[in-house]
Order: sequence, then structure tokens, then C-alpha cells
Amino acid sequence: MAAPDIDGRTGGPAVSPVTGSAVSPVTGPVTVLEHTGSRAVTEVEADAGQQVFPGHYPGFPIFPGVCVVECVHLGAQAAPPVPGVRLDLVAVQSTRFQSPVLPGDTVRSEADWAADGDGWIHRAKVRTTRGPAAQVRLRYRVVEDR
Amino acid sequence: MSTATLDREDLRTTVADVLDVDVDEVTDDVDFIEDLGVDSLMALEVMVVLEKKYGVKIAESELREVTNLTKAYDLITEKLKAA
Amino acid sequence: MTTVENEDRMIALTAATAALGLADIKRVLPHRYPMLLVDRVTDLVPGVGLTAYKAVTANEPWYRDLADDADPAYPRTLLVESWCQAAGVLVAWAEPNPDVLSGQVMLFGGMADIEFSAPVLPGDVLEHRVRLMRALSDTVLFEGESLVGGEPVLRVGRVVMAMRPAEELSPHDRQSR
Repeated sequence: MAAPDIDGRTGGPAVSPVTGSAVSPVTGPVTVLEHTGSRAVTEVEADAGQQVFPGHYPGFPIFPGVCVVECVHLGAQAAPPVPGVRLDLVAVQSTRFQSPVLPGDTVRSEADWAADGDGWIHRAKVRTTRGPAAQVRLRYRVVEDR
Repeated sequence: MSTATLDREDLRTTVADVLDVDVDEVTDDVDFIEDLGVDSLMALEVMVVLEKKYGVKIAESELREVTNLTKAYDLITEKLKAA
Repeated sequence: MTTVENEDRMIALTAATAALGLADIKRVLPHRYPMLLVDRVTDLVPGVGLTAYKAVTANEPWYRDLADDADPAYPRTLLVESWCQAAGVLVAWAEPNPDVLSGQVMLFGGMADIEFSAPVLPGDVLEHRVRLMRALSDTVLFEGESLVGGEPVLRVGRVVMAMRPAEELSPHDRQSR
């Protein structure tokens, strides 16, 4: 039985739509597998239909490194550190690309949130079924609602 | 001419930041690649950052030999003296 | 050993350092629509730096399904991608590599201290400034920034690109892993 997550949900993974909510090079839903306290485990499918593949590169499709970072970013937004907070990405503090992500891979981000002054640090280890793909550390600022 | 003597602790925190590890993991003799599981690309990146931070020029062959903090400290100290 | 073709290119290089149009960019970058995010290059000085331009428009594929009330800001990750492609021109100009299936492939090793200071909106023209921090035998490090209307929108502390044989990524390699 999944542990209750930050919003008290104990059901299966929550799937939050990505398309249409913000401009993003990555399409397809984000699946939130774990969202308890500071921990967030999310997945995005780098399916062959992703719109970036035809141009990156013709005849040699490789999921762009920045799209791996985008998957972490989408996961961070789908599993925020505090319920209902709106976050603005202010920095990519560091990324380390370890192995390429290929069409059909599931991009899994296993991340932790840590408060950092007036913002939040999202530190993620990204993997596919074939092993580690990247390490990403993002910094967010909390957006005050208008 | 750079007269700054090299502060080992400042060097340690810079290396830890680039390698994205905790400062206390970067002991004087821990090997970046063997012990910290850092790839050679990142070990190179550390040296390029140090080169820029301390305003010294290091040949590629010398860069590639540095794989722990003590070696980095000795090499940069030597370069600073020569500057 | 420089073949005749190389010599032509070296001659072209010196003559064309001032500016590169789309054809020149496509000769050195393997990226194509919708991921060719550099429109023009100027002030290219091989091994030193360049300036590149990319016009942001609402007609890019990522805007197609955008809800009317959604935030129209250009994706921050594509801002970085566009800047990195400009850096790629700097690496690749002396070694054009439009065909990634043979020869060397430019792999994105990593980046650090990338800071976003203002949103970029459709209608903005990005001015990427790229400076080569250090070139090693198989690795190149860059730094720089991007501006819109003279105002900074992106600061790039460090981008690391590794040149690796394409075989490391070839389909054969994929099956065996």
C-alpha cells in the first residue's frame, strides 16, 4: 500500500498533464510515483513520438540533454516541495550527462527537495531502464500569487 | 603577478562544488575518479575551473595528472609561484 | 594531410569569419527542424568566440497546444539549448560534422551555474554571446550569456562538450547495452 503522499493521496501514481499548461519541448504526461515530504519520484516517457526527435538528429534520434533536464523540471512542478506553491526555475546549478536517452526510454527522476534561503533546490538522479542517465540540480524561486 | 597564497580549504570547497559532493568527502588524498566515482570529464572540468579561479595556465598533460586535492594544491601553488 | 577540400574550407574560413548564414550553420550543426535553434552567427573568431541570433516566435511547435491563458514564456531549457548550439558552431566550425553517423559526435557533457534572469517571449530576438573557456584534445568548455534588446536573460557559467566517436552512440551499441 503506497505511503500517503504530501497531499494525503494513497492511490496509484498521479498523472498530471503537461501539454498545454506551459510551453515545453517535451510532450506527454508526468507520472508522479512518489511524493512524500522532500522526496519526489516522477517519470516521463521519451517515446519515439516526441517532437524533438525528427530534428535531433535526422536518422540518429537522441533525446536532447536539455530535454532530460526538462523532464526533471516537469517532475519538480508535478511534485512541489509544499502543496500548491508556484515555482519559477531560476537556475540550473549543475547537470552531468552520463549516458544518452533514446527513443522509447522511460526517463525516471528520483529527486529530493531542500529549502535554500527564499527558494528551493531540486536535486535529481535521472535513470532509464539501462542505468544512470544524468544528475541534475535545479534552483527554484517561490512565485507569490498575484 | 599573483601574490595570493593558496588557501587549501577554499580549494577544497571549490572542488567539492564542481564535483557536486559534500566538502568532507574531499579529503586531501581521496581520488576523484577511483573513490568519488567522478568521470574523467569532470576531473578535467575541476582543473579548468581552478585554472580560471586562480588565474594560472596549466598544460593539458599536467591537468590530466591531477586526481586528488593534494596534487591540485601542489600544482596550483607551483603555478602561482611561477606567475 | 589537408585535402583540396580542406584547403577550400580553410580559405572560406578566413573569408567568412565575419558572419554565417543558415547554410553555413547547417553545414556544421547536425540539428534540424524543430531543433535547429540558431538562425545567424556573427563575429565568429575560431577558438575564441562568436555572437549568434535566434528569433523566438509563437509559431514553434511547442506553442501549438498551449492553452490561451497559459504562460507564453519560451522554455528555459530551450534557451540553454539555443545557446549551446551557438557554442557548437564555435567547436564545429573548424571541424564541420553535419553527418553524425561518421566521424566525431559532439556530446553534451554537462553544464553549471546557468542562471535565468528574465522571461523570453515570442517576438524577442536572442543574442547569444559565446566565449571559449578552454579547449582540450577531446573536450571544450564554454561560458557566456544571452541578451534580449541589450538586457541579460541568461548567464552561462560553464558548458562542457565532449567530442566522442559516433560509434559510442551507434544503434549497434544500443542493442548490445
